[in-house]
Amino acid sequence: MKQEGVDQVKWLCDKCQRELELAKVKVRYMEGNFEVDLMKCPTCNQVYIDETLALGKMKEVEEGLEDK
Amino acid sequence: MNLDKLLETGDRCIHKEPPTCVANCPVHLEIIDFLSEIEKGNFQNAYKLMEKKMPFHKIIGRICDHPCEAPCERSKAGGSIRISDLEKAVLEYGGYKPKKVWPLPKNKGKVAIIGAGLSGLTAAVDLDKKGYVVTIYEKTNQLGGRLWDCIGDSLTEAMLLEEFKAVADKKMTTHFETNVDKNSLTQLLTEYDAVYLGTSDWEEPIEWDPITFQVGNSTLFVGGRLVNKTDSVILSASSGRRAAISIERYLSKVSLTDSRDREGVFETPLHFDISKKEPLPPIEKTVTIYSQEEATEEAKRCFKCQCRKCIEGCVHLRKFETSPDAYIRQINHNERIILGTHYANKMINSCAECGLCKEECFLDISMNDVIHETRESMVERGKMPVSAHDFALKDMAFSNSSRFSLVRKQPSKEESKDLFYYPLISFSDYVKGLYKGTGKTEYLFYPGCQLPASYPDDIKSIYEYLVGHVKGDVGIYLGCCGAPADWAGQTSLMNENIEAIKKVWTEMEQPTFILACSSCIRIFEKYLPEIKIESLWDVYVREGLPNKDHIKIPQTLSIHDACGTRENSDLHESVRKIVLKLGYGIEELEYSKEKTKCCGYGGLVYYANREQSDAFISERVGESENDLLVYCAMCKDLFVAGGKRTYHLLDLIYPKDDVESATRRMPTLSERHQNRSRVKQILLKEIWREEPMEAEMEAGYSLIIPEDVQKKLEDRYILLEDIQAVLKNAEEQNERFCNPETGEYLARLRRENVTYWVKYRKEGEAFLLTSVYSHRMEILE
Repeated sequence: MKQEGVDQVKWLCDKCQRELELAKVKVRYMEGNFEVDLMKCPTCNQVYIDETLALGKMKEVEEGLEDK
Repeated sequence: MNLDKLLETGDRCIHKEPPTCVANCPVHLEIIDFLSEIEKGNFQNAYKLMEKKMPFHKIIGRICDHPCEAPCERSKAGGSIRISDLEKAVLEYGGYKPKKVWPLPKNKGKVAIIGAGLSGLTAAVDLDKKGYVVTIYEKTNQLGGRLWDCIGDSLTEAMLLEEFKAVADKKMTTHFETNVDKNSLTQLLTEYDAVYLGTSDWEEPIEWDPITFQVGNSTLFVGGRLVNKTDSVILSASSGRRAAISIERYLSKVSLTDSRDREGVFETPLHFDISKKEPLPPIEKTVTIYSQEEATEEAKRCFKCQCRKCIEGCVHLRKFETSPDAYIRQINHNERIILGTHYANKMINSCAECGLCKEECFLDISMNDVIHETRESMVERGKMPVSAHDFALKDMAFSNSSRFSLVRKQPSKEESKDLFYYPLISFSDYVKGLYKGTGKTEYLFYPGCQLPASYPDDIKSIYEYLVGHVKGDVGIYLGCCGAPADWAGQTSLMNENIEAIKKVWTEMEQPTFILACSSCIRIFEKYLPEIKIESLWDVYVREGLPNKDHIKIPQTLSIHDACGTRENSDLHESVRKIVLKLGYGIEELEYSKEKTKCCGYGGLVYYANREQSDAFISERVGESENDLLVYCAMCKDLFVAGGKRTYHLLDLIYPKDDVESATRRMPTLSERHQNRSRVKQILLKEIWREEPMEAEMEAGYSLIIPEDVQKKLEDRYILLEDIQAVLKNAEEQNERFCNPETGEYLARLRRENVTYWVKYRKEGEAFLLTSVYSHRMEILE
């Protein structure tokens, strides 16, 4: 599960007014714990998930885990 | 879940059972495949099927006494398929030069064959092919026995000679002009490992096993006319083949009897319904053999008998290209695996649990029950995908929360006395009803959760009607019966819900429930048999309709019965009486009443697999040119969403002037919540004249929602209250992303087990939504 595309570079963290950076982020669903590279604010750690990722790869992983 | 019992149910399904023609063919030629190949003009493939199953196919194919034809189902609708003539045509057009087969080394034992007629030759060739040293004893000077008497129009001497030459080429030792009698047989039994006796008669009575053709426990096996007592050539060949199988099993020291119950002619359990089939007469031959075109046409008459009754009625079974037997095997696998993916989950959650399959099945196999039990087992084992039913269960929780749920006795005479002094009001049936109030609740109106969500404005009218018409006080009970929990397999949640309803019923001194929703009726019948129920539609029939001048445009309607009412024929009749009384005509659908279909909401398939739900909708709405008439709120909403003009019975009973009710779109998911809350507020204010205990939902931010975003909200099961919560957090905490180029914001908030994302732009005081989405995965920031 990886964030791709150029869309995210345009987004800034509104609170910290910082550009987002790619970083290792822990995600969890049911029994599954992963560490994935996602864009996030280096100051407040707010993680950015775009629509394509949420409804694409992320949903696929969710469904895969639900069917395990 | 008892998986052995499950598999037994699957084994009862006759979908895969052979047709009568195959069951009556002693060598089980795969006749449906054979005819399908002819139909496609593939004569060579048809030929290969004959070659595979029929000993000496070039001979038998021309003289077979075709026991397959008489029981052919087509015989009841035009005349049996002429299978025998088609075999002759296939021999004519489909023959090819066989590939050279290398013989196996002959090291498996010695077998003597007595009699070189059809059965003996079949046994000899089969055993030779398998590697036995075969020796033939024949009393005449040629192979073939009585086959020589069969020479005629179809079978020629040249053909027989060619076939027997092929036998001779196998170089089995053959003793011609050698008569075997009782004494020499005893001798042969000592010299050979096994002996096959295929003479047409024998000097003394012999007893043999009807399955194995073995004589006692000896090494002697019999077949042919001696056993069959008929002239049937195909039975003769079949017995030779079956005896050869026994000999091989005997010499290999394996069980002679295992899995042999379907050898030879047997009775198939298949039940094929031809009641709706058009008769078609057989194609006549113009010359002695069918032309290829004639053969193709004749083959097309075949019904390809297979029981597909449940599949024909069910778009779910068709979408997954499965039948109960195969479905159950998949469920069995899904239930048994410990590690790995449960591939059948999606399928199991795509069944509408409507019960039509059982209604259509000759054997009452109910996939509805199977699926239901499976879902309960999945929930119990923690294997039910949460996302499948999460929204529906949250919706149920909403309906049972204080935002909708309500229990009230009929307003007392004392509380209502001011109404009795206004002449106009006091003449109304409702006020008369209040005046007769006794304080004892005889009836409890339980409209369910989806009807108030779709028809918020009619609930008060219905309540007033009931107070004014039924004998005894009428209370109200708003809530959800638990149908979503039942469909989702949530046993404990279901039981909790049932207990809650039972508690209200007891506290109210056991009133009769008046139900308006088909799913509620199903749930009450299933879980609450002690509660007396009556359907609102039955009450209308008994007490008379509320208004007098309903009819607008007289027209013919087709009634779609709700699948939850399948077994409730009284209710079907009540609905029809109301429709006729209102002045409409009725044209019944092919699948109606006890054979009705699901609209696409049942079993929560609407939430678990929207594509499957759409397939249910589009199939059903295509079944009539007429406008549909339904009496379940979800049926109405789904059919209108599917582009079909559909009336709910309430549209006709409580007509409204301002909208075209047959095309009124379904409320959004958020509107369904709001409508339910509104029903509660209206009832409290206008019937009980109470100030609502809770303020209506906070107004929140003013939102501008373009059509494409609205569609996303619905497709992704996102409520406006989720949006408001995200925006509130974003605005107050500044937790959001911004895009300086477009001026857009993107904000998220986790609510329970879902993270909601909203992309928006500010337009003055309002928020213009540009996209919404969600995910269940949790981000550990």
